[in-house]
Order: sequence, then C-alpha cells, then structure tokens
Amino acid sequence: MKLKDVCKILEAEPVRKVDSSRWRSREVASCQASDLISDMLSFRGPGSLLLTGLTNIQVIRAAELLDFVGICFVRGKRPEPEAVKLAEEKDIPLFATPLLMYESCGRLYAAKLPAGTRKEASPIA
Amino acid sequence: MPELEITKIQELVYELWVGDVMHNDVVTVTPSTPLSNLREILRDNRISGTPVVENGRLVGIISMEDFIKWLCEGSPGCAVADRMSRNVIAVCADEPLIQAINKLERLGFGRLPVIKRGTKEVVGILTKGDSIAGLLKKLDIDYRQAETRHPRSSHIFEDIVADRSSLIFEYDVAGGGDVERGGASASGLKTSLMRLGIDPQTVRRAAIATYEAEMNLMFFTNGGLITAIIESDSIRLEVTDDGPGIENVDQAMRPGFSTAPDWVRELGFGAGMGLYNIKTCADRMRLDSTVGVGTRLEVEILVGGKREVIRDNATVTA
Amino acid sequence: MKLSEIMQRLQLEVIAGSGSLLREVNGGYASDLLSDVIANAQERDLWVTLQTHQNIIAVASMKELAGIVLVNAREPEVDTLEKAKEENVPLLVSPLPAFELIGRLYKLGISGMRT
Repeated sequence: MKLKDVCKILEAEPVRKVDSSRWRSREVASCQASDLISDMLSFRGPGSLLLTGLTNIQVIRAAELLDFVGICFVRGKRPEPEAVKLAEEKDIPLFATPLLMYESCGRLYAAKLPAGTRKEASPIA
Repeated sequence: MPELEITKIQELVYELWVGDVMHNDVVTVTPSTPLSNLREILRDNRISGTPVVENGRLVGIISMEDFIKWLCEGSPGCAVADRMSRNVIAVCADEPLIQAINKLERLGFGRLPVIKRGTKEVVGILTKGDSIAGLLKKLDIDYRQAETRHPRSSHIFEDIVADRSSLIFEYDVAGGGDVERGGASASGLKTSLMRLGIDPQTVRRAAIATYEAEMNLMFFTNGGLITAIIESDSIRLEVTDDGPGIENVDQAMRPGFSTAPDWVRELGFGAGMGLYNIKTCADRMRLDSTVGVGTRLEVEILVGGKREVIRDNATVTA
Repeated sequence: MKLSEIMQRLQLEVIAGSGSLLREVNGGYASDLLSDVIANAQERDLWVTLQTHQNIIAVASMKELAGIVLVNAREPEVDTLEKAKEENVPLLVSPLPAFELIGRLYKLGISGMRT
C-alpha cells in the first residue's frame, strides 16, 4: 500500500501543500495507532504509518527517530504550527482525516495493512 | 559511485508526475485566431508552438513549422483552425513523467500539451527542458536526505591511529517541561550517528533511549546532561541530573508505572514506558538514584547488533 | 453484539467487571487521551486504550461505555482494578497492539462511524 492509497481510504488531506510527488508513491509497510509517545517508541519497523490524535511537536520527533513513513492525524485534528515546521525540516508527510481513530484503523486493517511489529511485552526480571 | 547515482535518478523519474514539472501558465490560441497574429504570440512568449483550445478543451496544436509553411505559401488570409494539426498527442497531468519523456522521445516533439484526464481541459504544457529541470530540482531536494545515506565521516575510526579512540558528544537538557524543545538531543545524536555511518537499527535504538532519557530530564528534573561516548563497536550514554531522584527504582522500571500528572498525560506522556523503553533498546543498563541528590543512568548499545527483533535482555543494575 | 461474544471471539481476558459482560456494544472508540474520550465517545462504545491509570474507570462509568479493552497486554494499576470492580466496569486485556485489535473488532462489525 502506498501513501496515496492511505489518503483515499481515510479520506485524508495532506496538511502541507507540498507537491504530491514527494510522498504519494512512498510505500507504507505497516500501521500503528497511538496517542502516547512512549508507546509509539516501543514499536519497531521503519516505514510504518502513525495514526494519532496527538498534535504536538513530539509526535514528529517520534516519527523522525523511528523513521516513520508518515503521520495521519485523526478526528479532524491539525498539528500545531511548530510540529508542522519540524515535519517540513525532516521531510515527514502529514495528513489529516475527519475519521475517528477507531474507524481509521478499521478501514486500513480491512484493506490488509499489517500492524507494526512490537516487542512482546515481558515482565522485568 | 556512478552506478548508485543512475539508480537514484531512475527512481526519481518514476516518482515524478507530469503535473509536478509542467508549466501551468500555458499560452493558448483559439481556432479562430488569425494566423497573422501567431507570429507575435510565438515571439512575445518565446515559444515555438502552442495548443489550440476551444471552450476550454484541447482541439489542436499549431507550431512554428506550420506558421513558416503558411508564410512560404504567401500568407493567405486564414485562421489557426485551417492550419493546425488536429491529431494532437497530449499527456495527462497524473501520468508518470517517464511515460511523457518516452512520448517526447518517440515522437521527436519538443513539447506536449498537458490535459486533465477525462475533461481534455488544457492545464499546462510539458517541454523537454521542464522534465530536466524537474529532475534537477528533485535531486537537489533529495540531496539533503541523501547526505545522511552517504556519510562523510564513516571512516573516522579507521582513519585515526590509536589503540582506542572514542568520540564524545554532550547534550544539555533543560528542565521545566518545555515540550517544544524536547527531543533536540535525540535528534542531534541520531543525525550525528547516521553521519558516522552506523547502521540505522543501532542508531534508532540509541535515539530512542536518548529521547526517553531526555524527556525524563525535561519533565522530572531541573535539567541535566546527556553524554554519548561513541566507539567503533559501542555507544554509551550517560545521563545525569542533580535531583529530585527516584524513590523506588524497581517500581519506576515497571511498564505502566508513572507518577506523571494529568497535564503530562494529555500531552501524550506519562504512559509509564520511558525507562522500560530504554531497557528494551539497551544491551546493558544501570540506574543509580538517590532521593534529594540525583540520578545517573548508564546505557550501553552495541553497534551492529544482531537483533532483528529487539529482545528484552538488558542487564539492569539498580 | 454482546460484550461476552466479542470477548470470546477475540480471546480477550476479563480482569474486572465480569458481571456486566452481557452489555450490548454499539460501536468502538479508540483513544489514549481522556479529554478526547470524555468529549467524543458515545454510550455503549467499547473503548480501546493503553492507558491504565485509574481515571479511565471514572471516564467509562461517566460516559456509560460498554467496557474498556487494554491493548499491548497492559496491566492496570492496582487502584484501577479496584475501581473497576467497585463500579462494575468491564475491564478486558488483549496482547495485540491497538491497530490490530481495532481491525479485528471492525471485522466483527463493530463500527467506528457516528450516527
């Protein structure tokens, strides 16, 4: 699945008006949904798409550190200006969908996008 | 590395679309435009041909060649409609650039009108020059990204003659919960490690551990220092602060345990995964804390680790 | 669909509120931000989250949600468990990440669209 397919499925719009050739053909390997930064950071797998309702600059940091392919903000949320600025600097595509988190996940899962891999939670020795 | 560069350009050609590189401000004429007007139109716009548009739809194309032919015939009074070619080959704005380049090449044309798929509405014009300019622009943009892929300092450890050598990076982290500034150390370390040519997976582990440590300093202390000591086979992180200290280290290590207040949770923090995440990234981890004095965290990450899947095997000494 | 059926089909572990499993689930809601759930979740939604703080029980109870599913095998804090029992709020756990669990719920026909 490519980013342009994700946009279609989620009825999402790019947040920044950059020329679409910059992102539309990028391959989305998997997806993860989270509103908590540390949870995002517990996932592995570059090329993952992040779905989140969190809009502050730290979401972009997480995407940068983990090499996410893009971020889609759910339920009509728009990222804060500093977040957009950092995304621009780091070349991370941002999208916004009016859909809720639950519906967004459901649609992408139904379209066969796999969940991002995650270390199995195991008790601390 | 000439081979690499060619592959890169090939990739770019497939990533670019006609709509991305075409000229939007296309000069057009109508079928009823007198041919005698064409010379000024071509000359003033410095073009050698132009699409013929009627009611917004593409109906033909007229070129300098058609115009010269008309001149040779003694410039009889007629309109564009009488001399244009009606069998126009156009490209769609959402077509890959590579297809359009092939068309230009195959047909020996210098330009192709660009239409909107379905409606035949003329939205632009594509020339060979546009294609090249588009590629160059894209190359230029990607250069900054490519830079970290072709690290400049990747031989530093081989170049230095010593029994042991290490690089030390220090990052000051301010306390006080200024969410906007958080993460700058982790980002800086990531960029630097990529420039050293360290494999991306190791870099990500170091970056995540640094980020979590940085956020802890930011939210829970008055600030502190992150030191990264990089050797050819390992990255060591030392994170120190002077208070307030962690009351119960075992409890703090437990996933899900957090003392974060609600406002921190609403920012997406306080999931109680911070120290746990550091542990999953580390090959060795040591956490010493004394309430009222401060905390010292040491993390070691081995370069080129074999872990495809991150295992939970760090040794924690508290 | 009843919560008990969802529990069986997705192999969710019930850790509190087992007395309320016959509740009807109307739809799904996923969020880790309490303010968002308070503002947007609807009655009889099944709430998917990885927040384990005791406030989730108060929110579920106040919004009359059908129940809470904790993802990533998150263990609730002791206070949370106690509160869930007290308020009889079904608290379930799945080892799956949120995206995967929501996908499976969605496939069972639990919708995320608002009416």
